[in-house]
Amino acid sequence: MSFAELTPPEAARWAARAGLDLPAERHAAVAATAEHIRSVVAVLRELDFGDTPPGAAYRAGGENPDAAV
Amino acid sequence: MRPYELTLAAAATEIRDRRLSPVELVDSVLGRIDRVEPHLGAYVTVAAEQAREAARAAEREIARGRYRGPLHGVPVGLKDLIDVAGTPTTASSRVRDGHRAAADSTVAARLRAAGAVLVGKTHTHEFAYGLTTPQTGNAWDGGRVAGGSSGGSAVAVAAGAATFALGTDTGGSIRVPAALNGVVGLKPTYGLVPRHGVTALSWSLDHVGPITRSVEDAALVLAALAGHDPRDPASVAAPAVDYRPEREPDLTGVRVGVPGNHYVDHVDPQVAAAVHGAVEQLEALGARPVEVEIPMARYLLPTLWGLVAPEATAYHARTLRTVPELYQADVRVLLEAGELIGAVDYLRAQRARTLIREAWARLLAEVDVIAAPTVPTTAVRAGQEAVDWPDGTRESVSDAYVRLCAPANVTGLPALSVPAGQDAAGLPIGLQLLGRPFDERTLLRVGHAFERTQPARALAPVLRARGLRARGL
Repeated sequence: MSFAELTPPEAARWAARAGLDLPAERHAAVAATAEHIRSVVAVLRELDFGDTPPGAAYRAGGENPDAAV
Repeated sequence: MRPYELTLAAAATEIRDRRLSPVELVDSVLGRIDRVEPHLGAYVTVAAEQAREAARAAEREIARGRYRGPLHGVPVGLKDLIDVAGTPTTASSRVRDGHRAAADSTVAARLRAAGAVLVGKTHTHEFAYGLTTPQTGNAWDGGRVAGGSSGGSAVAVAAGAATFALGTDTGGSIRVPAALNGVVGLKPTYGLVPRHGVTALSWSLDHVGPITRSVEDAALVLAALAGHDPRDPASVAAPAVDYRPEREPDLTGVRVGVPGNHYVDHVDPQVAAAVHGAVEQLEALGARPVEVEIPMARYLLPTLWGLVAPEATAYHARTLRTVPELYQADVRVLLEAGELIGAVDYLRAQRARTLIREAWARLLAEVDVIAAPTVPTTAVRAGQEAVDWPDGTRESVSDAYVRLCAPANVTGLPALSVPAGQDAAGLPIGLQLLGRPFDERTLLRVGHAFERTQPARALAPVLRARGLRARGL
């Protein structure tokens, strides 16, 4: 799968939609960094998650809330 | 041996048996700070007078027969993300100018209750969002990075400027500086040590833990820190455990996982050789090496980044809009870029975490611990931005230092970094041991057994190293 690279004006527009106004001199650096993070994180799109829930409320020891192991 | 050179365990024995007073120990450490701090930059603030007063109080208490335990009267440095009532938590950032913590964090309160003496707050990479801590020099070579983000804590412990310290670890920030400065760093299981009152970088990845001069010291500190606190939603009510390892641990039957992937690619040959030697030492102690394959290795860093970038940006959303110019450039651009990551990408990372955690649970049914390098290379030169590997791959310093530590943050598993010798330049190498959730005891037992096979470690030669360099030698 290929992705079109994020351009500086796009980065500025997306940031503005998120409520963050970026000064013009920051557009290129933010676009480059966001593009790098996107390229790293996009690898996760390869995975077939099925019904897997997110781990946001996970317990490192499993599902036992008192973590007795 | 001067008091500032003592391990926590040794100092505790001396204090308990009244051969050393907390006042002598704290004075000794403060004197050491005076001498080495100008070369290190480990501390944001040193609270000398408050420390002396706390030491006098500890001395009086112990003289009255009220000895609280091994931390009583022992000097500690706290990473400056950790709230101490009435003092600023600067996060080593101008964004926090004027800050003053209203109350102690859980860990500061627990250390205070155990009688530890706060000598100062140590530098962090700004808001813990980085792997070098540029304000601080490496304890072994001031021209090299301290590692981060708990760089000040690790350097202070390595140099004798604190008997022990606390750090935080989101992608390796306890273990990386511990490895690069030749000290012990423990990232406990996610949820074991409460984070209430500790500035967050990434809620689902953040941990608090000890940085010490020995594995036994880490066990003593962990015992004081662990325990449920409902004010941290991730905190769990794990049963109280005596983490202190036996004096001469027997490793017979312990299965040590030796990864054949992830931890072997793009690793400096000297680091790889040190870890190989460590596994041989564990085998000689009775442990059984078992070759293992790290599951879902390709997805570890993507998952870490998919979590930390949006969570960090969410934490800083307000100040990123009101005072963006007060952030350092490297942190500001990461926070800004984090605004552009979508919620579905974030949730994909959370779902990947579930799969990775399940896969690691299956792996840790086959072995008791995993032995690996903490970081793939020793401390790089200050200002160096990338590491070049022999196959032509170029990797940012941050990615290189995060890469081998990330699995324990994504899975929440406990991980310990133990010094495992030095490279040809005399820079420390770290052995990383990973274990089952809430099985810090096994991790510390194996780490302690390995540590006993190594030559006694001295403090980092701060003044000698700086003196030689000043003379051009």
